[in-house]
Amino acid sequence: MKVRKEITELLNAGIITPEIAERINDYYDKKSGPSQNKIVIVFGILGALLVGLGIILILASNWDDLPRTIKTVIAFVPLLIGQFCCGYTLIKKEESVAWREASSTFLIIAIGATISLISQIYNIPGRFDTFLLTWIMLSFPIIYIMRSSCASLMYIILITWYGCISYIDDTESYLYWGLLLLALLYYILFKQERGGNFFTFHNWFIPLSAIIVLGTVARDAEPLMLIAYVSLCGLIYQIGNIPLLRDEKIRNNGYLVLGSLGTVVILLGLSFDFFWSELRDDQFWTNDLLKSPEFIAASLLSIAALILFIMHKINQRPFELKPVEPVFILFFIIWMIGLTSPMAIVFVNLLVLGIGVMTIREGAKLHHLGILNYGLLIVTALVICRFFDTDLGFIFKGILFVGVGFGFFFANYQMVRKKKSVSGNIPPTDSIPQN
Amino acid sequence: MVNKKIILPAFAILCMAQLFIPYNMISSKEKVWKHGKEFRFRTEPIDPSDPFRGKYINLSFAEGSVTVPNADEWIQGNPIYVNLGEDEKGFAKIISVSKEKPEGADFVEAVTGYVYTDSITTVTIHYPFDRFYMEESKAYNAELAYAESARDTMQVTYALVAIKDGDAVVKDVLINGVPIREVARYYEEKIYE
Repeated sequence: MKVRKEITELLNAGIITPEIAERINDYYDKKSGPSQNKIVIVFGILGALLVGLGIILILASNWDDLPRTIKTVIAFVPLLIGQFCCGYTLIKKEESVAWREASSTFLIIAIGATISLISQIYNIPGRFDTFLLTWIMLSFPIIYIMRSSCASLMYIILITWYGCISYIDDTESYLYWGLLLLALLYYILFKQERGGNFFTFHNWFIPLSAIIVLGTVARDAEPLMLIAYVSLCGLIYQIGNIPLLRDEKIRNNGYLVLGSLGTVVILLGLSFDFFWSELRDDQFWTNDLLKSPEFIAASLLSIAALILFIMHKINQRPFELKPVEPVFILFFIIWMIGLTSPMAIVFVNLLVLGIGVMTIREGAKLHHLGILNYGLLIVTALVICRFFDTDLGFIFKGILFVGVGFGFFFANYQMVRKKKSVSGNIPPTDSIPQN
Repeated sequence: MVNKKIILPAFAILCMAQLFIPYNMISSKEKVWKHGKEFRFRTEPIDPSDPFRGKYINLSFAEGSVTVPNADEWIQGNPIYVNLGEDEKGFAKIISVSKEKPEGADFVEAVTGYVYTDSITTVTIHYPFDRFYMEESKAYNAELAYAESARDTMQVTYALVAIKDGDAVVKDVLINGVPIREVARYYEEKIYE
């Protein structure tokens, strides 16, 4: 461990006393919790995954020469091995994360392998969504019984797959949302394990899964899906700002990244005229609209995002507004304007510009180069989008590009200078040599 | 300890459920296999692949559609009960279709496919047995064997399907009475000669 090396070095140099060294060691021991060899966990899971998938492939080869009874017995072998490993883990190795994760991973794959093999032996074509649903239902309790985060991640992958396949097979995928809630329950119950890699993976998998499957709700009233998507992105952005998650590093907080990125990407797409001109011409406003899945999804997500926004702001002292937080409310207003007026496109462009400028401001305030450059990238992306608009003059576009380019240089230079002066590595700004 | 008192029985119940679902699949299909009435469906096999279940030959049946008097009664995706009989050569023949489960007749529960009306209304039928899994090395040879048999109009390819109480199991696919696995093996030997 790097810290321990440093402690030894400081101790040898006589900078800290042995007592202080011991106290620092104790602190890190307590912080890291029970020691688990991460490499063993990773290789345990990888091993279980590869063995399980290998068994599926071997069995998929289909052994024609074996009698049906033998094939049926063989079908149960992976499942029984998986169950034995999980049982052994529960009785003898309950505290070993590596055993829990690896045996659960293997059992989940074994369930899929067994069902597949029986379908193969009896030539059952079966619907793929039904097969996935059976697999999901039989795998779900493993998450809780084995307290396995890897099982939870595999479950999220399976339900996402199920949601998409249901849509492709032209059946309803609403069950996915109930299944996702079941996954969230594990996430909430075991939040004390936050900070670990599995927690980080969940922070990415859950919002990504919801973003992917929301698209399957679309039927005939597609323009409403934009409200649903912007509200979903607003909702997950705000989840990324709740106390449990907001202190995580940005790369560990998938909610924040996906919420912000999703909102910006959608708005950039809508900064062109084609959507708005279609929206004005579209005859989707029918009597059945209120019953349409798009309307229900848009309403539920908007209400959920609004409730979280209000709750968050009531408790927040001092009051501050993050760049993406209010966008879903503003977008709804713009969308309503867009039903009748072409001015909506101007407002969307202003909204993206506003998000970019506020993000730059936030980056500058937090002395965070990443956030600052993200803000600049938003503005740049907007400028690039306008580059493709034929009704803007070349001189105007050129000035925009030059301006944003200079903005990049200036903002980064200022930030680096500020950081250096704060850390005291360089003398005050007036003595910096000018090139 | 208290935790274990709940967890272990819960795990035991889960294991039972995980074993019961595949067992149930097997026992229901075994009943049909052993006690079902056998029908011979004329078919055209082709050779696709399933990521989980491996190579299979897709069965496209000659008796795959039926004409009906009223198009509005049939909705794509809904269950359709197909009453089966045999033609003069002993192959399966659709006698009638119904939306209600028939009593006493030999029937199979299928899914309504496309419903199209030209001068008459035709309903396509998706049978619950359109796959026949094969060892991966033989699936392609089986397709070759079928392609050759198709050129010879005297040869007949058919699926032997057992049917009981609406459920069905494909027991074998045969070309002129010889199991397609045997024919594929013959082709394999011929290739390596």
